[in-house]
Amino acid sequence: MANSAQATDNVVEMQQPSTRAKVQAFGGFLTNMVLPNIGAFIAWGLLTALFIPSGWIPNEELAQIVGPAINYLLPLLLAITGGRMVGGQRGAVMGAIGAIGLIVGSDIPMFLGAMVIGPAGGWVIKKFDKLIENRIPAGFEMIVNNFSIGILGFILMILSFYFIGPTIEAANNLVTAAIEALVATGLLPLLSLINEPAKVLFLNNVIDQGIYYPLGMQATAEAGKSIYFTVASNPGPGLGLLVAFTFFGKKTARRTAPGAMIIHFVGGIHELYFPYVLMKPLTIIGMILGGMSGIAVFSLFDAGLVAGPSPGSIIAYLGLTPKGSFVGIIAGVLAGAIVTFLVTSVILKMDKSSEETDELASSVEKTKSMKQEGKQVSKSTSNTKQAASKKIDTVSFACDAGAGSSALGATTFRKKLKKRGIEDIEVKHYRIEDVPDHSDVVVVHADLVDRAKMSHNDKEIITIENYINDPNLDPLLDRLENQ
Amino acid sequence: MLAEHLEGNIRFLQSVDSWEDGIQEAAAPLLKNGSITSAYVDDMIQNVHTNGPYIVIVPGIAMPHAKNEGGVNSTGVSYLQLEQPVVFPQNKEVKTFFVLAAEDSDGHLDLISDLSSVLMEDEIQDKLEASTSEQEVLDAIKMAE
Repeated sequence: MANSAQATDNVVEMQQPSTRAKVQAFGGFLTNMVLPNIGAFIAWGLLTALFIPSGWIPNEELAQIVGPAINYLLPLLLAITGGRMVGGQRGAVMGAIGAIGLIVGSDIPMFLGAMVIGPAGGWVIKKFDKLIENRIPAGFEMIVNNFSIGILGFILMILSFYFIGPTIEAANNLVTAAIEALVATGLLPLLSLINEPAKVLFLNNVIDQGIYYPLGMQATAEAGKSIYFTVASNPGPGLGLLVAFTFFGKKTARRTAPGAMIIHFVGGIHELYFPYVLMKPLTIIGMILGGMSGIAVFSLFDAGLVAGPSPGSIIAYLGLTPKGSFVGIIAGVLAGAIVTFLVTSVILKMDKSSEETDELASSVEKTKSMKQEGKQVSKSTSNTKQAASKKIDTVSFACDAGAGSSALGATTFRKKLKKRGIEDIEVKHYRIEDVPDHSDVVVVHADLVDRAKMSHNDKEIITIENYINDPNLDPLLDRLENQ
Repeated sequence: MLAEHLEGNIRFLQSVDSWEDGIQEAAAPLLKNGSITSAYVDDMIQNVHTNGPYIVIVPGIAMPHAKNEGGVNSTGVSYLQLEQPVVFPQNKEVKTFFVLAAEDSDGHLDLISDLSSVLMEDEIQDKLEASTSEQEVLDAIKMAE
């Protein structure tokens, strides 16, 4: 069918991006993996800030959701998004299968792990599919497709399960040893070098509860307060980071950062800033420097807290500040926020100058994977060949907004019908999701076929790349003329 | 109808740095006369990032547009003709921009219909590409109307 031939050509035509573009694409890749899921982070953050025992309105029942949501939901979402970006819907499934091995095999939330295993799973299935392409005997496609994911996923699940436990234990031991060595030097600001990366990797509990809290409680018994309670829980740097994203981040990141800021700073749920660091890993430098400044100021004022602030919100901080430490604590939080803000702003701004090429590369990457799926769709279109014999009454052109290109396509198609003297065919334009069910044929741009397939998998979908004279529309015109 | 709307909104440039730049330059007249706000320009660029370069409606011609989420004050179109083509993702080269700002999804359909007539005639497309002044562009478009 002309359709699938056309789409296949396009896949072949796509040029490989240069190495430079690939490196730049990596930054965009992380962002694209995290950003679509920020809403889930916020939902979890709100839930946690409100309902955990130390939250605003503790609720034991609802707090049950907190653990599973951060352990399962959020990492799975990241893995699914990452898998889909590399290997389409099949990649998404593989990514999720791989991630569940990590999740169950570890006792901390697996964000970074999910961001590695998701795309890796997508890659595996994509390579496999390519390998066996055109070698599946007719009629066995379904069984091969399902069992390839089934068997490869089964292996991936076991590998990641056995791999992750020892890896985390090793990382925990390393972090603990490093912290103990740093504490021994007495140079407390250096602790941020370990603290900040460890927080984002969810290794902070072992530090906080294993080292800082015992040290802190010891000191509090003697002096009535301790700086150790503040070294990893200062909400200032996270605030600075999110303010920087609010001003200098890219579009979506910029719009979501203020919401995350409130949940982080007032709610004390530090996890809300983690995704922003994960999508721009360089910003960890800002976090480290901010953390250092905070600790330096706390020591300078000889400030401390009377207990471990949990969650680490500004309110918990002030509540646990002993008399005489208020100035020091507030100054330390502010210092952390300001330093992180300044450093992160510079990092984001530098990033912005290369944004154009970066975005370009990432969209090249993205459209590539969409093409891949477009190819699959076109194949399934040719499978519904029997539809060709059905009478066509309604042709719907669809696009993102349903106002611009689809309208152009529909208008032009109507003119062509008129030219050929074909009557009584309803040709209209819609937003993809609004295409009515009685449409016999849906016409959509190749770049949007993924979305069209989600809502209209049961209908015949024709992909075009040219709204005026696409060769894929000619067979349709012929069919309409001859029916 | 299309020619009427384009009057005063036609620009010619030697080249632009990037396709994003191209959309910005092409939309500049609409921004200036208040038809759109800069949010709509951002939306049009974001649309390509999100959905791919499907706004390249036929080879060489882009029709940047987006859903009106408050960035469009009144329906309008603007035109940019480049001497050097600019490259969109997927290596699509574009020399001509028709920026479409639609207040709602119906009010601009006559404009789209005219544009469709323009693009269906290869002869008119050639004339557009060769034109160097606003009057030439308007004359070419009026041929189709």
